[in-house]
Amino acid sequence: MLKITNLHAKIGEKAILKGLSLEVKPGEVHAIMGPNGSGKSTLSYILAGRPGYTVTEGTAEYEGKDLLAMEPEIRAREGVFLAFQYPVEIPGVSNKYFLKAAYNSLRKHRGEPEMDAGAFLKFIKKKAKSVEMDPSFLNRSVNEGFSGGEKKRNEVLQLAVLEPKLALLDETDSGLDIDALKAVAAGVNRMRDEKRAFVVVTHYQRLLDYIVPDYVHVLSGGRIIKSGGKDLALELEKKGYGWIEEKVAA
Amino acid sequence: MIAQALAAQRESWRFTPAAALSGPDFRPAGVPDSVLALAGRVLCPVGFHRAALVNGRWEAKHAVLKLPAGVTVEPLSSAAGLSEILDRPAPADLPLAREAGSARDGFVVRVSRHARVDRPIHLVHISEASPRAESCAARVVVVLEPGAEAELVEETLSFGDAPSWKNVRSQVVLGEGAFLRHHRVVREGTQGRLTLALEVSLGSRARYESHALNFGGLFAREDLRVSLAGEGAECTLNGLALLAGSEFADHHTIVEHAAPHGTTRQLYKAVVDDKARFVFDGLVLVRPGAQKTDAQVYNKNLLLSEEARVNTNPEFKIFADDVSCKHGGAVGQLSLEAMFYLRSRGVSADEARRLLVYAFGSEMVDRVALEPLKAALADALHGRMPEENL
Repeated sequence: MLKITNLHAKIGEKAILKGLSLEVKPGEVHAIMGPNGSGKSTLSYILAGRPGYTVTEGTAEYEGKDLLAMEPEIRAREGVFLAFQYPVEIPGVSNKYFLKAAYNSLRKHRGEPEMDAGAFLKFIKKKAKSVEMDPSFLNRSVNEGFSGGEKKRNEVLQLAVLEPKLALLDETDSGLDIDALKAVAAGVNRMRDEKRAFVVVTHYQRLLDYIVPDYVHVLSGGRIIKSGGKDLALELEKKGYGWIEEKVAA
Repeated sequence: MIAQALAAQRESWRFTPAAALSGPDFRPAGVPDSVLALAGRVLCPVGFHRAALVNGRWEAKHAVLKLPAGVTVEPLSSAAGLSEILDRPAPADLPLAREAGSARDGFVVRVSRHARVDRPIHLVHISEASPRAESCAARVVVVLEPGAEAELVEETLSFGDAPSWKNVRSQVVLGEGAFLRHHRVVREGTQGRLTLALEVSLGSRARYESHALNFGGLFAREDLRVSLAGEGAECTLNGLALLAGSEFADHHTIVEHAAPHGTTRQLYKAVVDDKARFVFDGLVLVRPGAQKTDAQVYNKNLLLSEEARVNTNPEFKIFADDVSCKHGGAVGQLSLEAMFYLRSRGVSADEARRLLVYAFGSEMVDRVALEPLKAALADALHGRMPEENL
């Protein structure tokens, strides 16, 4: 589904990714862990198409197509979704209008008829309930004045509405208390199936107690320096990142 | 002559391209050969009371006025008992208002003590198409006696490819406890120019709610002077300008707090695209003794192109010591973060841009309480969104 080969990227003159390779197959959940500044968020942003990064070498294929050549909206319509670490506030645009615009652009892309306002309202109310979001949030401006937990829950609502094939979760656990974390993880777990893949970027192992990954990768210095099963996360939690970095250096 | 008069007002016209007025060889507008229907040309539904000036003259065929007791809407040319207001000289620094003072016609709206107008009153200023450059002047007088209430929608329109210019002097007098909602929708054609000098005086506890909406026109200059002369008066000044092409809009407002416990809430927004320009100059003057004045003046602007320009100057002059005054001006561009967020959800770049511009402008449309007008303005706002592929 996703095949990243020897990816190098920079912001301005600063090299962030230095030869990252990763393959994700349908149904798999991959966790990418690493210390601050290792390039975790850069990887998510590059895959989603955020402007400002330059890819200097390497490729990222999504379902056999060149992902990096696509505009961000095309990536979304093709089934790639990024849950933001810092969801953006958009005053004046209601959450439900935003969701409808997004949802219908995906349907249009698939050659399906757009859903009308009445049907869509019913549809998202059900989705909001499934992620335990108060329906009043649908009428509020996108993320405006939302608490950290509410913003993350709103990301999961979008995930549930847009039903992507490949979901990238960027530090979805940051700033969440344990109840919010559980609710967000439950929302994600309900979406897991054999066709959908997840890449979960996180600094802490805690999230992986609730979203249990098939694979864990350690990102450091812009490359994946170690991969393993879910036990690797536990080991990292106990020992920190230092021991792997030292081992690789040696 | 106009150029000279305006040249004398160098300070307040320094960002204003007066050539738009002095350039064309304007002749006084004549009477059109036939009366063209308003349907499909005006924003407001037929359910409103309506009167219209065509080329500066009252057109009886457009008047739809079944007014309740205590309410009159008349042509200036036949209104009586107004000399005290009509003879009041225009402020010396508003030469165009002086010029408009000699207008032969206009609207006169009067609402007597504690009367309420059942439905909004729609006043249309229209310049019909002409083969040559034409100008006209008009006066508007609105008097609400103590406790009276009314909702007014003034709409200015022009048609045709030749330059047109409407020069309007308006006076609004609100008695004690009176309440006026005053919407001014400018939907001039591509060659339409409008200059308006509007003086408003508020008695004790009177309320004035203004919505200045620029939705089209080559040139618009509005000088709004509000005097909070009575204690506890409230004024709310909202503005939204949507400018594209080489359009220009200029709002100079002066709110004078002359009595204690007055309130001012002002927010003007502009969306400026292409080579369009917007000027905002908002002064609140707090006179000695106008204690407990609570005033806010804000201007927020969204620039959509490299060549768009805004000059903003929110300002206070305060001569009382126990007041709360806040002001701010902001000029920004579309948030790249918000653009990316929308696009990452499948929304195209063009649609994302329109969504964000709409969101910026819709705050002002949402402040319009008059439902049918709000809906018409929301549609008009959609119609003025930036084109694709810009």
